[in-house]
Amino acid sequence: MKLPIRLSVTLLLAGSLAAGAAAAATPDFAAARAAILAHYAAAAHKADPNFKAFSAAAGRSFFLAHPAGARPATPSCSYCHTTDPRNQGRTRAGKTILPMAISRTPSRFTKLSKVRLWFRRNCQSVYRRACTAQEKGNYITFMASQ
Amino acid sequence: MPARLRALIDRIAPMPGGPSLPVWPWTVRAFHWSLVLCVAVAAATGFLGGMSALSLHLAAGIAIPVLILLRIGVGLFGPGYARFDSFPPSPRAALEHLENIRGGRHERHLGHNPAGALMVYAMLAVLLLIVLTGTAALAGMFRQGPFRSFIGFDTGWLIYGLHQPLAWLLVAMIAAHLWGVWFESRRGHENLVAAMIHGRKAADPPAPPPPRRRAMPWLAAGSGIGAVGVLTLIVLRASAAPASGLPPAKLDHTYAEQCGSCHTPYSPVLAPASVWRQLMGDLRHHFGEDASLGDPALHQRILGYLLANSAEHADTLVSHMMMRRDPADPMRITATRFWQFMHGGIPARVFARKKVGGRSNCDACHRDAQSGRFLPENIEIPESAE
Ligand code: HEC
Ligand code: HEC
Ligand code: HEC
Repeated sequence: MKLPIRLSVTLLLAGSLAAGAAAAATPDFAAARAAILAHYAAAAHKADPNFKAFSAAAGRSFFLAHPAGARPATPSCSYCHTTDPRNQGRTRAGKTILPMAISRTPSRFTKLSKVRLWFRRNCQSVYRRACTAQEKGNYITFMASQ
Repeated sequence: MPARLRALIDRIAPMPGGPSLPVWPWTVRAFHWSLVLCVAVAAATGFLGGMSALSLHLAAGIAIPVLILLRIGVGLFGPGYARFDSFPPSPRAALEHLENIRGGRHERHLGHNPAGALMVYAMLAVLLLIVLTGTAALAGMFRQGPFRSFIGFDTGWLIYGLHQPLAWLLVAMIAAHLWGVWFESRRGHENLVAAMIHGRKAADPPAPPPPRRRAMPWLAAGSGIGAVGVLTLIVLRASAAPASGLPPAKLDHTYAEQCGSCHTPYSPVLAPASVWRQLMGDLRHHFGEDASLGDPALHQRILGYLLANSAEHADTLVSHMMMRRDPADPMRITATRFWQFMHGGIPARVFARKKVGGRSNCDACHRDAQSGRFLPENIEIPESAE
């Protein structure tokens, strides 16, 4: 009976370590995301002094819209990320994309350089322009609500 | 042996009526039919199978020299007609035998007749040459096997040019051998194929006896098995020796992260430097998408990595073939003649499977895609339609 006991102790230890890591990581993600949202809020306020708060509903319609001038290969954000952000997405080259919804992928929108890179690329492809700080904040707020 | 099996063998290979003599010991018969099986597998996979049949082809190609070494042990120290000195290779004797046939003089040989003997040695020699040229090709193309550390692509490719003609030569020799068996069976009114199964031949008409030398079974087995053991050790050691000309085994982390977000990160070995330079020159319009990195230092770093590890820097089948681009579409790996040739037999619906995710998703079917090796043994197409 030695082995099972040892095994269960190991499992217990590993489990508590993992839980500890998750507990330590989650607040970090939340803090990092809050910092990024604050960054966009400041920019939105600068562009429009009447700016109050980001709207998840506006983020949702931005996400689902099919803008008229989109590149034919990329008609909408939901084309790759699917209409339900809790789903896995799929790139044109066939690679799966982890869900955009924060409930499913807690690490989303936690690294400013990555968020910037993809907003720049994907806004160019779909909207044929840079997105505004307000659009970006709405988008993240929508994903945080999912 | 169960009685039913015994009866079946007797039906396929009837014993000669009347008194008979033992001619082929079980070792010779087992060797003969195992070799037939291995050559059949090697020929079927080699002539008809694609790259994914290579593992089976190699298994047969490894078994053949093992069988031949064991047969040499029996040929040197075994009993009666199994011994090489009972059928020495002699072109003169072979010609004489053919002359006798032409002149209608019937001379009986219980073991191999001189012409058959010559064919046996020739076939074994050609078989060994086929194995050697195949081993050299394996080293040149995939950097695998005992020659991997000293045969590069150019040499391996050149030698590969001999592998298939030799195989055709062997096919012709097998045809001649079969014809000889048929001819001699008819001429001597005996079933030589059955004799190779049950091992016995009719005692009449009388024939010269085998050389009277004592069989040394332990020495026969020991020398054959010993030789196989030594060869195995040498091959294992040589196959583990370091080889030059391999692409980087692991992708650079930053590269894999940046260039692996929309598709599998391609090994730098999959394109020559000129293509990487052109591709990196316009990431804003990258196959219909904006893939720009937005950070000049990062861009420079990834470009440098690609150039330092491009196809020119490796020496494998893949690296050499990936230098040959389609002039109309040089940037696409999947547009190269080589890629199209290798995947031409795969139906579009297989690429459309969700688990495959399209032609460009090399990882789905090539477990070692990121190492740039693309070894045939690592190919596995995901099953299930969805
Ligand atoms: C052509 C496919 C495609 C389209 C269309 C697309 N995306 Fe993406 N998006 C991706 C990929 C691929 C990633 C990176 C993969 C990952 O992070 O899992 C990504 C990542 C992102 C990220 C970074 C997420 C993070 O973890 O920081 C944001 C933000 C984003 N997309 C926003 C958008 C917006 C907004 C649109 C529409 C304007 C859009 N995407 C349209 C493919 C696409
Ligand atoms: C924003 C998404 C995206 C990013 C980032 C990206 N690519 Fe691509 N790439 C694509 C798409 C889409 C294709 C076309 C796939 C298809 O047609 O199946 C492609 C195709 C390719 C091909 C040709 C594949 C073939 O089918 O033969 C190469 C090579 C390539 N990319 C290299 C790179 C390199 C190197 C990088 C990093 C600098 C990179 N890609 C980053 C989207 C991307
Ligand atoms: C649907 C699965 C599938 C995909 C996706 C795929 N391959 Fe293959 N590939 C195969 C099969 C199967 C063979 C063997 C064909 C044969 O038996 O002759 C092969 C053969 C090859 C070979 C030659 C044999 C070898 O093992 O070296 C190379 C090189 C290769 N593929 C490279 C690629 C590259 C590069 C990509 C991505 C751009 C790719 N393949 C995508 C299935 C696939």
